[in-house]
Amino acid sequence: MNSEKPIVQMRKVCKRFGNIKALDDIDLEIHPGRIIGLLGANGAGKSTLLRHIIGLYLKDEGECVTFGCEAGKLGPKELGRIGYVHQEGELLEWMTVKQLIRYVSTYYPNWNRELEEKYVADYEISTKARVGSLSPGQRQRLAILLAIGFEPELLILDEPAAALDPVARARFLDLLLQIIQVENRTIIISSHILSDVEKVIDHAVIMKEGRILLDCSFDELCERFSRVRISALGGELPAELPFENVVHCQRSDGQAILTVQDCPREKLQEQAKSLNCWVEIETLPLEEIYKIVVS
Amino acid sequence: MSILTVNLKHLYQRRGLWLVYVILGFFTFASIAVLFKGPAAGKGLFIGLVALAFLIGGLLAALLIEVLTKPFSYCLPGHRKVVRKFIFSVAVVLNFLGSLLFLWYPGLNSWQLVLVVCSAFCAGLIFYWLGVWFAFGVRNSVAFIGLWPFVIFGGGFFGLHIVIERAIVGNPFGVILVGVLSSVLAWLWLGDARLARRYCGVPGVGFFDAWNRDKMQRYRQVRAAVKWDKLKKHPSPWVETFFLGRMNRYDYVSTGRYIWGGLYTAFGIALSQLSQWKEAFSGVFLALVLVCFLGYMDPGGINMLFIMPGLMIAQMRLPVYSSMLISGGRNERYRCAMTQVITTAVLITVLATITAALSLPLAAIMPDITLRDITFAFHAMNIELFFIPLLMIPIVFTIQLIYYRKPVVMMVLIMLVFMLLFATALFWHKQLSGMINPMSIVILVALSWVLFTLVLRYVCTRRSLVGQG
Repeated sequence: MNSEKPIVQMRKVCKRFGNIKALDDIDLEIHPGRIIGLLGANGAGKSTLLRHIIGLYLKDEGECVTFGCEAGKLGPKELGRIGYVHQEGELLEWMTVKQLIRYVSTYYPNWNRELEEKYVADYEISTKARVGSLSPGQRQRLAILLAIGFEPELLILDEPAAALDPVARARFLDLLLQIIQVENRTIIISSHILSDVEKVIDHAVIMKEGRILLDCSFDELCERFSRVRISALGGELPAELPFENVVHCQRSDGQAILTVQDCPREKLQEQAKSLNCWVEIETLPLEEIYKIVVS
Repeated sequence: MSILTVNLKHLYQRRGLWLVYVILGFFTFASIAVLFKGPAAGKGLFIGLVALAFLIGGLLAALLIEVLTKPFSYCLPGHRKVVRKFIFSVAVVLNFLGSLLFLWYPGLNSWQLVLVVCSAFCAGLIFYWLGVWFAFGVRNSVAFIGLWPFVIFGGGFFGLHIVIERAIVGNPFGVILVGVLSSVLAWLWLGDARLARRYCGVPGVGFFDAWNRDKMQRYRQVRAAVKWDKLKKHPSPWVETFFLGRMNRYDYVSTGRYIWGGLYTAFGIALSQLSQWKEAFSGVFLALVLVCFLGYMDPGGINMLFIMPGLMIAQMRLPVYSSMLISGGRNERYRCAMTQVITTAVLITVLATITAALSLPLAAIMPDITLRDITFAFHAMNIELFFIPLLMIPIVFTIQLIYYRKPVVMMVLIMLVFMLLFATALFWHKQLSGMINPMSIVILVALSWVLFTLVLRYVCTRRSLVGQG
């Protein structure tokens, strides 16, 4: 358990949009210094949850507190500590990139000019360009700069890499890792590109239909799910394999591939010893873990 | 289901068109109703529906342009040709029905009647193709649809309806020839693959898109890229320096910083444009043309200048529903929006009042104009109506705040308010003048502002500020 006070606390938060329950009894605590991956299908409630944290949405029931303040009442003091990159990419179209950066930076006392210049150079952002004329990828880069330029304690990224090309995405992930080096920085990242997310997160929250199905550290998550490859050393595999909590099993010609949940590796290795087989235990990629959890 | 049928479904599936149908229904009724008194020949009473084909042709072409801009319609088999099929199908049915009106044309024998009906059908086609050509030829032609009835009425004023009716009845073979030729040309032109290529994937302003923020934003982005040379001239550096300077006078958590920031984002672009002499001159020139035109319209017509800004500001966006996160919270959004609306109301009221004051000396020097035995005199604005922007602006913003996520409802309601005030200014301005007294003005204005403040407060404290909530 993390002893530090959480920066975001959600208790029994519910939100409805007409007949749709967008958030259903959400309990969540976000502690400083983490990179949290918020995973879920379209309509799972990820963006709704993130928007509650910054007070753009108001809960119907429950309690949502960010930096010790009720999310709906967040003011400049608290919001000045939060960076937010969102899917819509809403920016001020008529300004040039330079003017927009100057305008946004005027709201933040700790705007980091050095970081701004480095980011502009690294990401090849044309500061003279009109915001309205930027491509979706360039807009997204600019939105990221505006969200990180003041070095926020909490950085919320709602599908931040969707419009970025593979090279820019790789650079962006590196940037996240640099940001998190600074003590007590927290990042919440919601993305469908799970192969990217798993490179950076240390905590995972998986959502489905407005509910949190799983909320645990990424290491714990990886330990909970394993893939066991079994090959018979001559002859056939036994009809009954001695493994517990098997969620998926695929057998063919003296070979079997099992997906096992909630079974420690030591136990798996012990069980494997009882078989006269070659056994390989490996960690599942996040994408497959996600599929198992939501199915 | 055929591709043509799918496209014809647009005609009832697009709810925005329902409003257009009401207007077209009114025109159709008026075109037929003029014959109830007795179908007199040679007075241009029969060509209402023929002329209406111009409007309908333009509307349908604009609708089809929207279909063409969707990239998938270029790729789907047979979709490129559907534009021609659609426009021709409607052209035949519509103009056939419109031409039947000529069956009541007096003083013609059966053969002549058949010939005149054919001639009217072809005349309708000519008007229809003009409308289609206008829609395809002028970028974002839907933006001008509101002006088309004026074109029709303007033509009527100069007696064009009589000339056209005489041509249809007196020279049917000539009209039929032109009608057939124009239809052949339209058939070839609409079937040209280059037409589909020209529109495929090109963003444009469609029906009622002015109230569709996402679409307008995408459109503006594309236009911004195209008009790069023009755009790079503004905003003027002094505007940025001025507003950022004002923002920096306040503490980082102070509301003043957010209010000046809000004013910058709201008025920065307009100030930049106005600070360039060319843009400012164009603005003043357009305002003068408008004052002169409305001044000659009717004693109440010029007073529309007090009403029009109210409609125009419906496009202005309050800093309430914004997903671009800066460090301002809900309270800051409330104060920014309030300041923005007050500033807008004051600026517009002052500008309208100055214009009204200028129209007073103009009334003394502007000459009377006589056209077709009708004398038009220039009327000055009624300066007593200065309160209208103050009354209307909070009402328009209240509607905008409540129906932000339902742009069609928002548009209809704002149009209704506008039409109510328009009718009042045009028809009941004398009675209105009698009812106006300082007390009633103060009460009405105060009520509208109280309503706006309550709604704004409610939205900023209780409602979701982005997305669907």
